[in-house]
Amino acid sequence: MVTNIQTQLLGRDVSFPVEESRFAYWLVVMRLIVGWWFLHAGLDKFLAWPFDASWFVGGAAAQTSLGPIVTLFSDGILLSFTNIMVPLGQTLIGLGLIVGALTRLAAFFGAFLMTFFYFINGETGGWAHGVITGDLLGLLIFAMIATLGAGRVLGVDAYLAKMSVVRDHPRLRYFIG
Amino acid sequence: MSELTTTERIGLYGGGALLLIGTVGMGLLEIVAGAPHPVTGEGQIVHETLISLSVRSYTILLGLVLLAAYGITNLVTKPPKDTSI
Repeated sequence: MVTNIQTQLLGRDVSFPVEESRFAYWLVVMRLIVGWWFLHAGLDKFLAWPFDASWFVGGAAAQTSLGPIVTLFSDGILLSFTNIMVPLGQTLIGLGLIVGALTRLAAFFGAFLMTFFYFINGETGGWAHGVITGDLLGLLIFAMIATLGAGRVLGVDAYLAKMSVVRDHPRLRYFIG
Repeated sequence: MSELTTTERIGLYGGGALLLIGTVGMGLLEIVAGAPHPVTGEGQIVHETLISLSVRSYTILLGLVLLAAYGITNLVTKPPKDTSI
């Protein structure tokens, strides 16, 4: 089946047809690959525990455009928070995308984390391979998943969506895909 | 997309425009008017930039911040349009 997406952009009609089966297929493929990317990154850090992010938030980030914010997390309790939240966040984001649970929320935080990786990795490397890096493409894929929502396609969000708490609080739909 | 408020237009169009200017626009300018771009054996692009890399970084960053602000504002102020659930 083909659905016609009827919409406007910059005041012009930009309606276009989308083949639904391929759309659903591609959403799931993106979710699984990006989900495994983050789940793997998170689990690796837990398997090699303890994880110490001080080289990244302290050393590497200091001279970058995000330095003033990120270096606040380079010691004390905020560093301990970072050391736990980076692997935990990556693991939960990865799991969320793979099983399709709270998909939009997971993708939002994926894009949030990628923003730090993109600027800090890019700037410390002098953008030696250009400003379009794998980190930026990862960020954009997270943004795409957050925009489209994909959790209800073979995912837990299909069940979460039917829960009374979601029906009673419509804004919760923003967090599921 | 036709019922966007002014604030939403700034977030979506302004953010998208800054993101595109920082990546595509400045990249095109570097190709057309910048120094030659030799590529090393490691695939690194070595050249003097026309526009400072920090200006380019901040342009892209501001674009992403505006897009994020649009998303968060939308979440806080509007109920979802998706009524299929």
